[in-house]
Amino acid sequence: MARGTLTIEPAHGPGPWALWATVLAGFGTLVVSVVLAMAGDELVRPGLQALLFNWITIPYLISGTLAWWRRPDSRLGPLMIATAFVMALTALQWSSVPALHSFGHLLDMVPSAMFLHVFLAYPTGRLETRPRQVVVIAAYVNVVVLQLAKILLGGNPDSLLAITSEPVLAARIEQVQLITMSVLLLTGTVLLFVRRPSAAGTRRRPVTLLVDTFGLALVALAVLYVAGLRGWPQIETVRHIAFAAVGLAPVAFLLGLLDARMARTDVGALLMELRAHPAGELREPLARALHDPSLTLAYWLPQYGTWADQEGRAITLRGAEDGRATRVIKRDDEPIIALEFDRSLEDERELLDAVAAAAGIALENNRLQVELRARLQELQGSRARVIDAGQKERQRLERNLHDGAQQRLVALSLELGLLAGSAGGETSERLLQAKREVSVSLDELRDVARGIHPAVLTGHGLAVALESLAAQAAVPVELEVAVDGRLTERIEVAAYYVVSESLTNIAKHAHATVASVHVTRSADTVVVEVVDDGVGGADTERGTGLRGLADRVEAVGGRLRIWSPAGHGTRLEAEFPCE
Amino acid sequence: MRVAIAEDSVLLREGLTRILSGAGLEVVAAYDNADDLLRYVRSFPPEVAILDIRLPPTHNDEGMRAALRIRAQHPGVGVLVLSQYLELGLAMQLLSESAEGVGYLLKDRISDVEDFVAAVRRVGTGGSAIDPKIVSTLLKRRRGDDPLAVLTPREREALELMATGASNQGIADALTITLRAAEKYVSGIFTKLGIPSTRSESRRVLAVLLYLRA
Repeated sequence: MARGTLTIEPAHGPGPWALWATVLAGFGTLVVSVVLAMAGDELVRPGLQALLFNWITIPYLISGTLAWWRRPDSRLGPLMIATAFVMALTALQWSSVPALHSFGHLLDMVPSAMFLHVFLAYPTGRLETRPRQVVVIAAYVNVVVLQLAKILLGGNPDSLLAITSEPVLAARIEQVQLITMSVLLLTGTVLLFVRRPSAAGTRRRPVTLLVDTFGLALVALAVLYVAGLRGWPQIETVRHIAFAAVGLAPVAFLLGLLDARMARTDVGALLMELRAHPAGELREPLARALHDPSLTLAYWLPQYGTWADQEGRAITLRGAEDGRATRVIKRDDEPIIALEFDRSLEDERELLDAVAAAAGIALENNRLQVELRARLQELQGSRARVIDAGQKERQRLERNLHDGAQQRLVALSLELGLLAGSAGGETSERLLQAKREVSVSLDELRDVARGIHPAVLTGHGLAVALESLAAQAAVPVELEVAVDGRLTERIEVAAYYVVSESLTNIAKHAHATVASVHVTRSADTVVVEVVDDGVGGADTERGTGLRGLADRVEAVGGRLRIWSPAGHGTRLEAEFPCE
Repeated sequence: MRVAIAEDSVLLREGLTRILSGAGLEVVAAYDNADDLLRYVRSFPPEVAILDIRLPPTHNDEGMRAALRIRAQHPGVGVLVLSQYLELGLAMQLLSESAEGVGYLLKDRISDVEDFVAAVRRVGTGGSAIDPKIVSTLLKRRRGDDPLAVLTPREREALELMATGASNQGIADALTITLRAAEKYVSGIFTKLGIPSTRSESRRVLAVLLYLRA
């Protein structure tokens, strides 16, 4: 795919030799025309004339050469170069050498037909519709045949080609020639504006600017011919305006080329944007990079075998007849997405290639991200399910202990107490001893059951459960639970363990004198903060305790952060999402 | 003294009935759920209602909720809550209005028959019964500048008894001292710790607990 890469020298384009020869020859004509204008006595204001003359030839030459170089498959470049040279040759009529003057004068009208040709052939260099072909051919016939007839009849007494002197007839022919030419130029203007990109939607500034300039040039030429016909006294002023307008066209053309180059630099910005917002909307940045707000995206739905828009509605891609063009991006020979854009963009293939490639990369990234997110969600879901299942199991175990072993031991203890009361002496003493053993067992069992699941949490919520934790802590704890109502059990349990583990750590390692526990709730988060004034230096990586706690917090979608500068206490903050 | 019971374990329900009846108390109702007890209390308010904190159907907080409701709607009925676990937070909820006629004991305490019956009687006559374990947990805490250091060991024991709801006579009996000596200990403790003193024995329970918790 040579098209996809930005080649500096196209394989089948003109070589540098041809290009430089063209440019040199062009500047040769510049020098010659100035010399001719200044040396001859033909012109009213030779300096201004030469300037205007070159104002046309030089831009056509430069634009033509650039177009030829950059877009070798368009005929527009060679056509513009030819126009420049033919225009240059007409300067010969300023010469006092009769042969040169005659030749120059013969070509006098040809450039106006060529301007028409260039404008109507833009951008491909081909006349694509029948009316355009008819208008351009008629113009060429006009400027060649009628000009020749006029000269043969002695319309220009200085011409070597004048074979007879019929000034009245020649003047008549000239009238016909100028009228037809004006009509053809105005018809050309109409044809141009028929194809002008509509103002709404498909705003492509350089293209409309170009068409406007072309139209202005054609109208100015038509006015010039009418002025000549009518013998207006201001004909020189009209001529200057017409020349200026005709010379503007290649300048606009150059701007268009420049815009295409600048658009390519937008592709860089596009890539940056797509990277910064990989999952963002694709159409907007693409439309910006292509300078085509009318850009639409169509997604290929392989399971339905149809194209769909962003909302999933089935659509058909529009073709060239609507002034639209499409570019399909494929992966593994399967279409993924189609860009549908203004047809004038076809002229900027390199830009299209670059944008399409960027879109392809972005889509691939999008797909990978979506896949990744789906997997992550699956993983988070299964982790949450595992935690919930574990939680349920712990609750069930605690409940079994509470309703089973604990109740039985209490009943046993009660029975022993009653027996001890009714028995006497040594028996009573032994029964009381047995009862104390049972009490110790009960205490141990309580600790085990509580470690499995703090039942008070299920029954009475975080605030009540934390109260006992704070009361049992090794150091005085300032407790504040600013949470109205209950939280999801999963979050309550995780928050409880954060406080429980933290207080245990404080008792074991912190050498603190005081600690505080704050639980606050905002719209969508619950924050548990445990602070102590101990020695600090807690390390999440080394100790398994804090790492395990972090895992526990993260498993329910939360985040654990610890600040523990040595000698300055420890601050632990767990943040949980809550619905 | 009339007692109504809500306890879902048959063994304990029967055990309780036996102990209390044996001690001369009248067990007028014994249910396995809170709703029946609430209905009974509404019609025939007893002196004491004894509730297990975990009752059907969910075994979460039915007993506690019923206890709080009786406290709110029938201030004359003493409420004694029994639990397998001790939760300071629940004790504070029960005591939040006043410590009059409130008890919160570990289930094992039933087996110390004499103490238990005494606790039931205390609750039935407007006193309080807070499980000694709650108090000892609060007393066990390590403090940087321990305010309890100013107390003598005997005063400390008296403070502990006071926090469980013991009367001055109860403190005197437990420490085998005279009632006057017990009263001296109590006023001495209040002065040393700077707790605003109160004549009511049940109101001082709350004051001491709050002091120890802070």
